[in-house]
Amino acid sequence: MFTTGSKLLLGSTVAALIGTLLYGILVGGIMGTVGLVSATAALGTFAAINIFTRDANVSVDDIDAFAGAAAGAERPGSSMWPLAIGLATATITLGLVTYTAIFMLGVILLIAGTAEWMLQAWAERASSDANHNREVRGRLAYTAEMPAAAAIGLGIVIYAFSRVMLGVPSKASTIVAFSVVAAVVLAVGAFVGSNRRISAPKLTGLFAVAGVVLVSGGAVAGLNGEREIEEHHTTAYYAQEGKCGTGEISADEHASQTVAGKASQAATVVLSDSGLTYTFPGLDQVRSGSIQLPRSSAVNILFRNETNEHRRLVADMAPEVEGSPAKICSQLVEEGGVQLLTLNYPVPSFDPSVEANGGYALSVPGVDGARLEVVVP
Amino acid sequence: MSHSHEDHERTMSTDVRTTRRLSSVRSSLTTAGLAVTAMIGLSACASNAPQDTWQPAGENAQKIHDLQWPVFTVAGIVGVIVLVFIGVIVFRFRDKGQAIPEQTHGKAWLEYLFIAIPAVILAAIAIPTVGVVLALAETDDTECIINVTGQQWWWEYDYEVEPDGSICGFAPSAGEASPIITSGQVVIPAGTNVLLRGTSRDVIHSYWIPRLNGKRDMVPGRVHYLRLQSDTPGIYAGQCTEFCGLSHANMRMETVVLAPADFQRWLDNELEPYKSPAEGTLAKEGEATYITQCARCHQVNGLVDDKGTDDTSDDTVVVSYPDQFVFSGAAPNLTNLMGRNTFAGASWDLLTPECREDVWEASPEEFGEKYLAGVTEDCLNDIDLREWLRNAPAKKPMYADAELLEPTDGKTRGMPYLALSEDQIDQLIAYLLERK
Repeated sequence: MFTTGSKLLLGSTVAALIGTLLYGILVGGIMGTVGLVSATAALGTFAAINIFTRDANVSVDDIDAFAGAAAGAERPGSSMWPLAIGLATATITLGLVTYTAIFMLGVILLIAGTAEWMLQAWAERASSDANHNREVRGRLAYTAEMPAAAAIGLGIVIYAFSRVMLGVPSKASTIVAFSVVAAVVLAVGAFVGSNRRISAPKLTGLFAVAGVVLVSGGAVAGLNGEREIEEHHTTAYYAQEGKCGTGEISADEHASQTVAGKASQAATVVLSDSGLTYTFPGLDQVRSGSIQLPRSSAVNILFRNETNEHRRLVADMAPEVEGSPAKICSQLVEEGGVQLLTLNYPVPSFDPSVEANGGYALSVPGVDGARLEVVVP
Repeated sequence: MSHSHEDHERTMSTDVRTTRRLSSVRSSLTTAGLAVTAMIGLSACASNAPQDTWQPAGENAQKIHDLQWPVFTVAGIVGVIVLVFIGVIVFRFRDKGQAIPEQTHGKAWLEYLFIAIPAVILAAIAIPTVGVVLALAETDDTECIINVTGQQWWWEYDYEVEPDGSICGFAPSAGEASPIITSGQVVIPAGTNVLLRGTSRDVIHSYWIPRLNGKRDMVPGRVHYLRLQSDTPGIYAGQCTEFCGLSHANMRMETVVLAPADFQRWLDNELEPYKSPAEGTLAKEGEATYITQCARCHQVNGLVDDKGTDDTSDDTVVVSYPDQFVFSGAAPNLTNLMGRNTFAGASWDLLTPECREDVWEASPEEFGEKYLAGVTEDCLNDIDLREWLRNAPAKKPMYADAELLEPTDGKTRGMPYLALSEDQIDQLIAYLLERK
């Protein structure tokens, strides 16, 4: 007979009336009593109107309209997205006073949570059938959720795996990566392929356990830190240290196998028994003595060692000029090997600071007379 | 009945007016079409067309020219045949309400024919084309090497000193040769096979002097080769043909071909030691202004800062450091600015229009003398040069506001606004006029 709204208002009226009586008798304040009487009267009026209009509920008069109305729809299920948005807001606040990354994470969470909540609310209005609504939501949401979940999952797996690999010794990591993991993947694949009776829940459980183990291992390895990784210096480091001599350095490995050796060259500098000479690509004339190279322009020089010993080419640069190294050297090139140097001369060779250092030059340590003066106009 | 006759008459009159109106529109469209066609056709007949590929002035351009005639002839004939076929088919088989004709499919001999004809034509064109491409890539006959470097938005040239101490086969009349560095105009000796070794300091540019050879892209970090040769003294214009930024349209270049004797004079002049302006002159004041305002980017070879004193012990050689201020790392060398007659990427002439025409129109015999006269005070294009010095970015669009140039670490692309006073501009012009 009474609708929910009518019950609420009637109850409120009764409560207000009791409050009025109690206040009027026990406290006796005029203003308070008048206020409570007014509230009781107002609530009573609202209750009367509501009873008259039957809570504006059409279900009483029109069964068909009630069945199709939103109010008659199945109650939506609970949603976790408001909670996610709350968490996002807290993360954003935390990020504002700590790190930008946390702030950005909060923003992403906020956007994702808002979008999901809106999508859920939209889908729940699709019909009165909750299953159908879930299907509607899935059709739209899965196109974004599935790739995102896959990317996040894959990212976690890769990151965890990389922590493990960087945590164990390099030889062990190679064995793990190329033997153990490969063998496990092969074994699991073979087992699943040959055993058709294995159920989906079992498989899911297996992968879940594997995932937990991997992530746990990654977390442990990450907390332990990376193993000590050997540092590989380039020739630029050794040039700075003044070690571009005849001796072998760690940067000399695979001298002739650099990709840059195939790049476009301004000149090919050749060390032979007759000294240091050069040719321009496309021109046969062999030149020596001095080579002219442009200023403020990256030029590639190909060094070819045609002697019977390992040799490197060293370029004297402009140490007094900011940003210019004192020397640039190639790797130690084997007999018949080639190596590319990229040079960039910032000032002309007549710059007093360059002249004071003996000028620009290309030379080969350990070979007397193997020198080319570099003229930069 | 009478009423109906009037209606008929009115309808007839309306039809006639509509027909006349349509006829008038058709006539106007036809006239406009003919006018546009004539305009395009006549523009091809321009006498002042310095970048005309149909007027080759060197053996390399001649090879291209000799190739493009038969290729365009064949292409033209094929084009006309195809257009005529289309026209005939469109007219003859236009929709007149007729039934759709019987559809046929799979005439093998016709398909083979339509494959064979283009294949034969393309093969016939490919043979001479490949021959010309290979001929233009030849470098064995090189007699002169000039390095060319593109940057936003001008070209720099430096002349290779050969192992025998010559430049382009010409030994200096006095002293030893040193690398010559110039910009805007490249000067080459007539009848000499010149090889340009090109690269770029910033973005991809493309070098093209249409009357002397085809195009060649200049890519940063790579070296590209382009042959230049001409027997006829004169100036040959070109333009960067790879979009390279804001002032791409203002990145021009000119090749100056001089008779051997004139080239020798040009070479000797370029190798002349620096001459400081006479004391007490406006040009001397300009030298000081140049050192304070211009020399940080623009090199003048041999320029010495005497600090305004007679004491030579504290004199210092002035070396520019454009790599610290300009994104490309270079600015035009102004050692002999008035020896060439363009500036700002060959976009403006240093000569007045009359003097410029006098040089450009000179006969091959007289050309060298007129070109080597350089820019005199009477012939100086004072207007453009002043405007340039007053506010270069206003004259040539450049990214010259360092505050807006975070990606370039505050370095400008092109010449910035220097806020020079009119007095300073007077001094600089007087100084630069002596740079030849």
